[in-house]
Amino acid sequence: MDEQNQISVEKRSGLSILDIQGDVTSASEPFFSEAYNHPDADGSGKILLKFDENAYINSGGIAVLIQLLAETRRKNQKVGITGLSEHFKKIFNMVGISRFADIYASTEEALQAME
Amino acid sequence: MEWESGYLFKGLNEKQLERLQADARNVSMAAGDVICREGESADAVYILSSGTVELVTSISKSLELPVSMLREPGEMFGSSALIEPHTYTLTAKCASGGSVVVMERNALEEYMAEDHEAAFTIMANLAANFLSRLKESRQELKIHFNMLLRSFRA
Repeated sequence: MDEQNQISVEKRSGLSILDIQGDVTSASEPFFSEAYNHPDADGSGKILLKFDENAYINSGGIAVLIQLLAETRRKNQKVGITGLSEHFKKIFNMVGISRFADIYASTEEALQAME
Repeated sequence: MEWESGYLFKGLNEKQLERLQADARNVSMAAGDVICREGESADAVYILSSGTVELVTSISKSLELPVSMLREPGEMFGSSALIEPHTYTLTAKCASGGSVVVMERNALEEYMAEDHEAAFTIMANLAANFLSRLKESRQELKIHFNMLLRSFRA
């Protein structure tokens, strides 16, 4: 498993996009925290988590995401997720992540729906 | 063969690796095949030759949590076969077709009984790997604990 993530933050149409490269594990926590507190994401009303389709997200990575979603919920931020493989769409539905964030097929679809 | 690059065999010399190879066999796998199942008797250690294998743990009858995706030849699973109570702690599923090298526990134990130096190296490698997994599990536990604390404070 990759222990390093690269998360770039971009602001488009009032939406903060966190572009996540690499596998997501418990070791990803500081990378997510840094990206979430990035000036282009901090305080944003809408956040899109864009995953690499080949990325693997293990139970530790799911915990990191749930932690992030709990924080966005406290701040009344709207969150979307894109780039997930079918495998992870199913898992996110089963663990309940999809109740706190909408899952989109593409960035374009997310941009249209979240605008 | 990439099985020699498995973490368990790091530090073994050529002669020791050759001896181990005599007990290894290559088995094909297809996407969806369950190679070993959590809770079942662990009779073999597996080394990925080609393809990908996903390791999962069962939370309930309908939910399996993803633990790891093995993609690189030489990556190993099923090493709990070398430790009592010889039970697999995870389920391994073939994610995309390929093959694995299978090393039966009995054959490995027999070899380790005859070559104590190799046995020491193998068990030291196993302990280092388990320590690393323990560290990762603790990190995950900290995330859950922090969330629990925040929910109490909210």
